Amino acid sequence: MEALATGFTAILQPMVLLYLMGGLLMGALFGALPGLTATMGVALLTPITFWLNAEEGMAMLLGIYCGAIPAGGVPALLLNIPGTPASIAASWDGYPLSQRGEAGLALGINSVFGFIGQVTSVLFLAIAAFPIASFSLRFGPPEYFALALFGISLMAGVSGNQMAKGMLSGMLGLLVSTIGLDPMMAVARFTFGQAEFYDGIAFVPVMIGLFGVGEVFHQMLTDGASARVGSSPATPPAVLGRVLPDWAAWKRMLVPGAIGSGVGTVVGAIPAAGGDIAAVICWEQTRRLSRKPEEFGKGSIEGLAASTTACNSAIGGAMTTMLTLGIPGDAPSAILIGALLIHGVQPGPLLFRDNPALVYSIIGLMVLAALLIAVLGVVAARPLAAALRVPKPWLWTAILLLSVVGSYALSNAITDVWVMLAAGLLGLAFRWLQIPLGPLVLGLILGPMMESNLRRALILSRGDWESIFLRPIVAFLVVAALLSLVWPLIQRYRSGRKPRDPLPGPGESGG
Amino acid sequence: MKRRTFLAVSGVVPAVFGSCARQARPYPGRDIKLVVQAAPGGLSDTVSRVIASQMEPSLGVPVVCENKPGAAGALAFSFVSRKPADGYTLGHAPVELAILKTLGYTSVTPETVDPLCLVSKTRPVLVVRAASDAASFPALVDALRKRPGYYIAGNSGTGSIWHLNTLLMEQALQLKLVHVPFGGSSASITNLMGGHIDLAVMGVGEALPQIRAGSLRALAVFDVDRTPLLAETPSVAELGHSFGAVAWSGFFAPKGIPDEARQRLQPAFRAAFDSALFQEVCQERAMEPVYLDSQEFSQFARQQAAFFATRVPSLLGVGA
Repeated sequence: MEALATGFTAILQPMVLLYLMGGLLMGALFGALPGLTATMGVALLTPITFWLNAEEGMAMLLGIYCGAIPAGGVPALLLNIPGTPASIAASWDGYPLSQRGEAGLALGINSVFGFIGQVTSVLFLAIAAFPIASFSLRFGPPEYFALALFGISLMAGVSGNQMAKGMLSGMLGLLVSTIGLDPMMAVARFTFGQAEFYDGIAFVPVMIGLFGVGEVFHQMLTDGASARVGSSPATPPAVLGRVLPDWAAWKRMLVPGAIGSGVGTVVGAIPAAGGDIAAVICWEQTRRLSRKPEEFGKGSIEGLAASTTACNSAIGGAMTTMLTLGIPGDAPSAILIGALLIHGVQPGPLLFRDNPALVYSIIGLMVLAALLIAVLGVVAARPLAAALRVPKPWLWTAILLLSVVGSYALSNAITDVWVMLAAGLLGLAFRWLQIPLGPLVLGLILGPMMESNLRRALILSRGDWESIFLRPIVAFLVVAALLSLVWPLIQRYRSGRKPRDPLPGPGESGG
Repeated sequence: MKRRTFLAVSGVVPAVFGSCARQARPYPGRDIKLVVQAAPGGLSDTVSRVIASQMEPSLGVPVVCENKPGAAGALAFSFVSRKPADGYTLGHAPVELAILKTLGYTSVTPETVDPLCLVSKTRPVLVVRAASDAASFPALVDALRKRPGYYIAGNSGTGSIWHLNTLLMEQALQLKLVHVPFGGSSASITNLMGGHIDLAVMGVGEALPQIRAGSLRALAVFDVDRTPLLAETPSVAELGHSFGAVAWSGFFAPKGIPDEARQRLQPAFRAAFDSALFQEVCQERAMEPVYLDSQEFSQFARQQAAFFATRVPSLLGVGA
């Protein structure tokens, strides 16, 4: 109890709060701009904290981390460009929702459920840090392979009713993910001898191109004529809608929020699996449990609540593994370890024994950061949503500019800009052909994880497949993967047998 | 964002317009760019940013770091070596500068650039789980000999410096291990602690936190003497072996920079090396500060390149 009091009083100081606020604002900027990620924000501002004391430096860095993830949802909801990879799933429901004239509600859910996700995951950290962390250690190569396999099996669900096209898109993502040096023997594959492609096709430029630039190209070609006239019918409805959800909406989002918090925390705690994967998994699971699965991908508030809570609760999960074991749960927390070491803080089991006050300081700072960014998000919802009322040609120009700068800034490579533009053209073609984009990104993110860990698992088991699949976590995940592939077929079979059901329209457009 | 745009713009603008204005003022007349071959946040990035910030007082101009990660550093090495040798573009030089040509990633070697100085080194250490039966290095070697092809060694990627160290040990002691490449040393640590692999070789700094926390045990440092960071852990030389290759961190410029620039850079690097901040960062991140000036570093880097050129082909089983 004494440690608790010391920990909390250490952070309730004007300078600490000021640095926390500064970090939050910087984080919000890094998160909201596509191509600039939370990882980059933490990394670039770490040197600045060398000159601060431990509490101030931690406040600033945690502020960046906690601020960037919810802020990444803003461009995802308003412009269909995820600001950070964590917001990919949020754009699937958030963008249709704001297109429907409920941008305010979308931003409100993003803030409120972002807060719920961050706070519940931090509470998990406070209560169950060690069990969660030691569970995450049981993940060896076979388990990572099974997790990736499970993620890939979600392609079927993410494709909506365009099953075959979705699979095609996902397979293309898997194929593209094989470009580069192979993860085991470092043999170059499909690189045409260009060292630029040795590390593979970076998925952030692909994501910016597919979702952002592809959408801009599409709108230019479809709305171009009306936008050029200058009369403003092409601008979306000026109605912002309510920002905070009403009671009926709350009731619908309660279960998705709870699933998002739980699953997000656990996935976040597993090293190398972060908010992006957590959000996709939760979105799909919630869709399956929902009474209205057909709304998912078309502006479902349940879908948005699930993905938002999940990507935000991954923060607490990642911090749990980092603080208890000294092992990063994701990329930003890997850099946080380095920064904490500079301040003489050694994350690991001994931290809880030797310096519990500091752990409480970190927990307090994270709760405070979650609260501040949520309030900021709700207050800023109206001005932010005004971005939608900007004449479209201006908006397109701004998005294209940001996309080019963002893809270049990722690793200061012009190749990434070309990759982004090529992905933009691909995104345009996919929109015309009504091929869903989600599976492609899923394949690109999970492909390398699945391949390298399967090969590692086979080295460890000396080529024995059976012993891989008999491991409990692997068996569980593989069965879950099979179910999620077969489930849509069962559903179709069942609905086909029900005579009362009206005939479904064959040509509904998918997400 | 502001900083990143600034970095992006400051990279482009001087490159385009700066070349016309050159020669006008004594060196350094404008910003110096320091290209880092790794992503923000890692050791290379930290060393470069600290050294850059501590060079600014003696040079009187900003030294701006730019990250160009990719192909284990080959992209950054090629990028810097193609820049004009005017002293306004410098690069961070890790041990990979001496390895990558042999792996076929780039044609750049210490011979084709001007090495400027070396500031730190990181020694390899062999670690096992704290619960492992192997209490000492000789005990481990006995166990490894008894069951060839049974024990699993994690490494941070095929052809990486820690993988090469594992192979050097395997060759010198005539062992047979199963090698599993991971994305980096932190994944090796996780898999060691989870009991998925048996041993791993990594940088002392990477393993030190877990060694101190008691979850990993250090058995031997692959060098001629002990490191002050792990005073209890024997070096392989003490145990009667001679193998190992340390990792290091230095700086280089494109071949043929003017003497004027070299004479201004030399003391600036030295002052940055001596700065309290750099020494403190070395302490915290468990690197050993070692200074070699441009002549000593050139000689050292060439020896290293020659060493890797003769050893790597047989270690990795690739055609020389």
